[in-house]
Amino acid sequence: MLAIVNPFTDPYWGNPENLANLLWVIVALPLLGALVCGVLGKFMGRANTNFVACFTVFSSFVLSCLTVWAVGAQSTQFISPASGVPVRWALWLDLGRWFSAGDFSAHYGFLVDRLTAAMLMVITGVGFLIHLYSTEYMEHDDGYPRYFAYLNLFVAMMLTLVMADNLVLLFVGWEGVGLCSYLLIGYWYRDTEKAWAGRKAFITNRIGDFAFLIGMFLLVLLVGATEQMGRETALGRSNFTDIGRARAWVTTVHDQGPLNVEVLREWALRMPPETAKGRPGMNLGTTISTEGPLKGKTFGNVLTAVLLLLLLGAAGKSAQIPLYVWLPDAMAGPTPVSALIHAATMVTAGVYLFCRLSFLLVLSPTAMAWVAMIGAATAIWAALIAFAQNDIKKVLAYSTVSQLGFMFMGVGVGVFWAATLHLVTHACFKACLFLGAGSVMHGNGDETDITRLGGLRKEMPWTWATFAIATLAITGIVPLSGFFSKDAILHGAHTTELAGYPWVGHTVYWLGLFGALCTAFYMTRLYALTFEGKRAADARTPHAHESGFRMVFVLVCLAFLSVVGVVWGLPELVPGPGGRKVAVMEGYLAPALNLADRFASIYETVKHVESPPWLGYAIAWAVALVGGAAAWLVYRWWLPARAGKPLPAPIALFWRWARAKFYVDELYDLLILRPFTVLSKGLFKIVDAGLIDGVAVGGTAAVLRRLGGWLRYTQTGNTQNYATVMALGLLFSIGVVLTWVLR
Amino acid sequence: MTTLTTWIVTATIFQPLISGAIIAALPQTEKRLVRGWTFLSMLFNFGLTVLLYALFDPKGPEFQLEHRVPWIVDLGISYHVGVDGLAVSLMLLTGFLGPLVVLSSWSFIESRVKSFHLALLLIQSAMLGAFASLDLILFYVFFEGMLIPMYFLIGMWGSEKRIQAAMKFFLYTLAGSLLMLVAILAVYFLAQPAGSRSFDYAAFYNSLSGANRELAACVAGKAASCAAMSPLAQALGVYGPWMYLAFAVAFAIKVPMFPVHTWLPDAHTEAPVAGSIILAGVLLKMGTFGFWRYAIPLFPVAAQQMRIPFAVLAVVGIVYGAMMCLAQSDVKRLIAYSSVSHLGFCMLGIFALTAEGASGSAYQMLNHGVSTGALFLLFGWIYERRHTRNLIDFGGIARSMPIFAAFFLIITFSSIAVPGTNGFIGEFLVLLGTFKSTKLPMWLAVLASTGVILGASYMLWMVQRVFFGPLVQVENARLRDLNGRELATSLPFVVMALVMGLLPGPFLDRLETSTRRYLARAQVGLDVQQRDEDTRVTVLPLSSPPPVAALPAGSSAQR
Amino acid sequence: MDGITLQHYLFLAALLFSLGVFGVLVRRNALVVFMCVELMLNASNLTFLAFARDSGVDVGHLPALFVIAVAAAEAAIGLAIIIAVFRSRGTLNVDDIRTMRL
Repeated sequence: MLAIVNPFTDPYWGNPENLANLLWVIVALPLLGALVCGVLGKFMGRANTNFVACFTVFSSFVLSCLTVWAVGAQSTQFISPASGVPVRWALWLDLGRWFSAGDFSAHYGFLVDRLTAAMLMVITGVGFLIHLYSTEYMEHDDGYPRYFAYLNLFVAMMLTLVMADNLVLLFVGWEGVGLCSYLLIGYWYRDTEKAWAGRKAFITNRIGDFAFLIGMFLLVLLVGATEQMGRETALGRSNFTDIGRARAWVTTVHDQGPLNVEVLREWALRMPPETAKGRPGMNLGTTISTEGPLKGKTFGNVLTAVLLLLLLGAAGKSAQIPLYVWLPDAMAGPTPVSALIHAATMVTAGVYLFCRLSFLLVLSPTAMAWVAMIGAATAIWAALIAFAQNDIKKVLAYSTVSQLGFMFMGVGVGVFWAATLHLVTHACFKACLFLGAGSVMHGNGDETDITRLGGLRKEMPWTWATFAIATLAITGIVPLSGFFSKDAILHGAHTTELAGYPWVGHTVYWLGLFGALCTAFYMTRLYALTFEGKRAADARTPHAHESGFRMVFVLVCLAFLSVVGVVWGLPELVPGPGGRKVAVMEGYLAPALNLADRFASIYETVKHVESPPWLGYAIAWAVALVGGAAAWLVYRWWLPARAGKPLPAPIALFWRWARAKFYVDELYDLLILRPFTVLSKGLFKIVDAGLIDGVAVGGTAAVLRRLGGWLRYTQTGNTQNYATVMALGLLFSIGVVLTWVLR
Repeated sequence: MTTLTTWIVTATIFQPLISGAIIAALPQTEKRLVRGWTFLSMLFNFGLTVLLYALFDPKGPEFQLEHRVPWIVDLGISYHVGVDGLAVSLMLLTGFLGPLVVLSSWSFIESRVKSFHLALLLIQSAMLGAFASLDLILFYVFFEGMLIPMYFLIGMWGSEKRIQAAMKFFLYTLAGSLLMLVAILAVYFLAQPAGSRSFDYAAFYNSLSGANRELAACVAGKAASCAAMSPLAQALGVYGPWMYLAFAVAFAIKVPMFPVHTWLPDAHTEAPVAGSIILAGVLLKMGTFGFWRYAIPLFPVAAQQMRIPFAVLAVVGIVYGAMMCLAQSDVKRLIAYSSVSHLGFCMLGIFALTAEGASGSAYQMLNHGVSTGALFLLFGWIYERRHTRNLIDFGGIARSMPIFAAFFLIITFSSIAVPGTNGFIGEFLVLLGTFKSTKLPMWLAVLASTGVILGASYMLWMVQRVFFGPLVQVENARLRDLNGRELATSLPFVVMALVMGLLPGPFLDRLETSTRRYLARAQVGLDVQQRDEDTRVTVLPLSSPPPVAALPAGSSAQR
Repeated sequence: MDGITLQHYLFLAALLFSLGVFGVLVRRNALVVFMCVELMLNASNLTFLAFARDSGVDVGHLPALFVIAVAAAEAAIGLAIIIAVFRSRGTLNVDDIRTMRL
């Protein structure tokens, strides 16, 4: 059909809005691929399975490019059902009701705005490259149908997550990626450790999901309370004086459901913070008066609670404190899986969630402060652990946790565009790093211990070059992409003041700088130990061999993207909101994030102090150089010079603790897992088997048996005994009748 | 009111019984004939339930497809059957499970095949009858009628300790049912005037509803109305809680709720596959259905007064059931405790008194039938091969039985409520309803939500012990994967798990009619707007009994 | 002396009945127990006839005829049972025939 119409001139296809009708295909293709690979993979053969898997993701990539074109077009817009107002630079597709009960409803709906478009490019683009890489990496593995089915399913779930127009469908994708993560981490299930790692990931994610669910429920209650007070109280009615738009909102709450993003946007527009002056009616400081669990609490407090719960959910998915413990163990899965899921896409879901709900986040400075501080703490904590890890994948895993902390810092201080930019650039260079590590493992007999590697610079040139470029990107060296994205976050932190928490911005900035220093250090350490110097004496194979074409091609692509991605971060280039010149990404994402920016400036919850970024850039660059140089010196000069001598005591102590991941896993095991198991077993023995079955049920039976044993003696078998009893009874009855009844 | 609509329910209920009568005539040795005939009858029965489901109009009156014939006129008992939204959905579930149950035991049962299949057909009839009855004695007859074939199923074709398990099951449930009988008789005598007593559901409900309203007004603190209560309302104030408890205990044992749940693990462990599927799939729903249809609507004031303790018991069931799973070494026992946990969600939704909670609870009843039935079915395949239920004897099965592992994983995900499967919708709605509830405290809802974490932990632990890890035992390496028949039996469960998760609309629509009325009846007296048509029960009137033949003149009946 | 009144007959019947009851409850030989049962039946017959004579109802002695018929039938069956028991157990001591104990 597309052959006979020219998509650019045909009136239907030339109109980018009509692409909305095809949005479901983006999800359906990988889903179909998963089904085909899973069921028919063994019959199709390896080559065909590879082709099907890569083709579906590539087709989604092509469609994603089309959507990027569509949301970049001036004319693209849809009429928001919640307000009746057109939403520009976005596509929307409502496929109908999923389920509804009572006042609640959830739809199958896809919403693609510029934020989603950026995510789509990352997911399908990097996803396709990793599929391609996997076709060679998993060449010798017999379970390829299963592998590609899971991988395709993952891509489909992640696409559902970013394209969902309501939180319930987002949650489908949210849990779906967790599910695929479980399946893929435990892919080599014959190893108990690996299977357990998958389970750990799923259960830790579930703890986050538990918080997410409760947050969703509270949000439903919040919207419901607003609607009810708007109907019943005079105070509430003054929030809904614009009849037409208000009616549209109420209708959509019942039709599309209270968790629809458009519904929430309208809600946020109607519920300003308490500090907003001159607005009559309800605001976030109003106490909720409707009957129910929220009675007596203020809207703002409940909103903060919701956001904190969503933070806990995001912490589970994006591996922040306190739920990051699954990510390092997730390295048990195949390396392409680690690259795709645990670097580029799934773990970024938390960041995406907050960007999607940015307009809610800026209404609660408390929540923002928490997000920022948790992000900063995680960034430092993970970086310190990464210092002392010897497994190449574990270093990269902790590095991911740390970089996600950076993204959370960006979200927490209100520079959502910078967090998204860092998400995109991080996806490119972290995937490159992971795939490079995979290449190293592939060429060295699956060796992951970096103390047993070294000197790969000459033996694996392509891997070396791409790894080096990616390392420079992550440490934040100009002119690579990582520099601008990380620095945008730091600059944002430095210049932001949260209402009520003025110290957060500066604290996050200094912690972030320290984190950048640490990043530079441990990444350079990793690079130096793996590629530089001489090959270790106890290496597994005598020589390393470079990887095949497909793997190298993907590495080169990703390294290229790490370099080229700098374009998005270049500051003060394009016109942005408020007329000033902003970075390319900020300008691009402005339509998607404008509500948050508007709220931040109008309600003054997030105050930006404008200052030229050049000083900040210089400091950040200097910090990165210092960290990198320090690591280089230590590992290329100082340590080899002290070979054989023990480390100085304080460093050795720190090293031991960092090697042991600061004993967090052991702490969780001691405080939570073991008591729980003991409690379960104990309860079973005492209550179920003991009290209920033993005392109550068994006891009843025993009592009845004893009673029967006593009564048994009346059945003597002797007829005359029976006759005696009968005679006595008769006598007694006659006596009763004569004396009492016939009185 | 065509012949079809009048007779379809009766036909659905009694068709298995008639097929069973024909089985009794078949020779004992023709096992394949017996199995085939039973399978075809069950398939036909499934077709009838589908027809029933299609004939039920979601926008119609509450009770449809009614059929009422006088039975024991002097006592006011009539043969009165009819379906509402929940009943027809549960009947569909029963019909769905029927043929699959027969297929599950195809190669498993080799001795006394005739009696086995006869028992299956009898239970099918009894279960369908219990869901469709609109007369309390008829309901009681079917309710008790399920116990006897089940007792034989466990006691004759079960595992080592089958006799004890069957005894325990029978006596436990019987004790509860006897209490219920006492309560039924109490209402019969107390609530209805002497001349026109009947055991019909509408008569029961309508005669109590006025008194319930007065009692609710009194309990709500309006002192004046306490003095103006009718004698029935006063009697209800005194005896109501006891009668409610009698009903509630009977159904709580069936659900099973903590602490009267201990018969379930024993029954499941010792029962054969077919018995477990029927038990978990349908029998347990009798309990929740009983609360929904009988216990709470008949005594709403007493139910409201005891709402918190029962809700706490439901949440305890969720958490405690999950914790018990972690302490088990027997797979079937683990799945049995997971049933306790899942039905805790059902009960919580019933007590939350919100539309979302009640809908979620009703949907969860259907989900649990599909997913836990599937778990027992799938485990049955492996039990047939290995004849052990101990977790230690497994490990690494995914290597030798990959298709089986895939199916088991999908059903596991349905059980732990992964979105996209049916379990998610039920649990989501129940938890949302509990949070929204103005009657239950929020900490209860939060505690119930931890069920999602616990569910994942015990199910995945079991999956890991059984399927993953190294293949240590030699016997496990030689297991053959699912054959065609086993695949065909397991596939419908997997398909339903996904279909019910992605397209729950048609199911929820039919349940909604029942939900609305249940809520209206359960909330009598609370400050909630109620439509009179929602609270009043309207059913077919009894057709006038045939005239008594005149006595011949000159009889010796002199006065 | 007033002659033989109704009370005399009743007293005699009661005495015979008590003797019969005593015998049924205490005697060990099954045949003797049966004879005492016959004694009780005859005592009740006497009561019936005494009242019949005294009240003058036409059909007052009908119950007595019934009782005689029933007693005869019962004696026949009972003696058959006793013979069967004696054949299988070799004793007629009721204390020894107690297999129906628990």
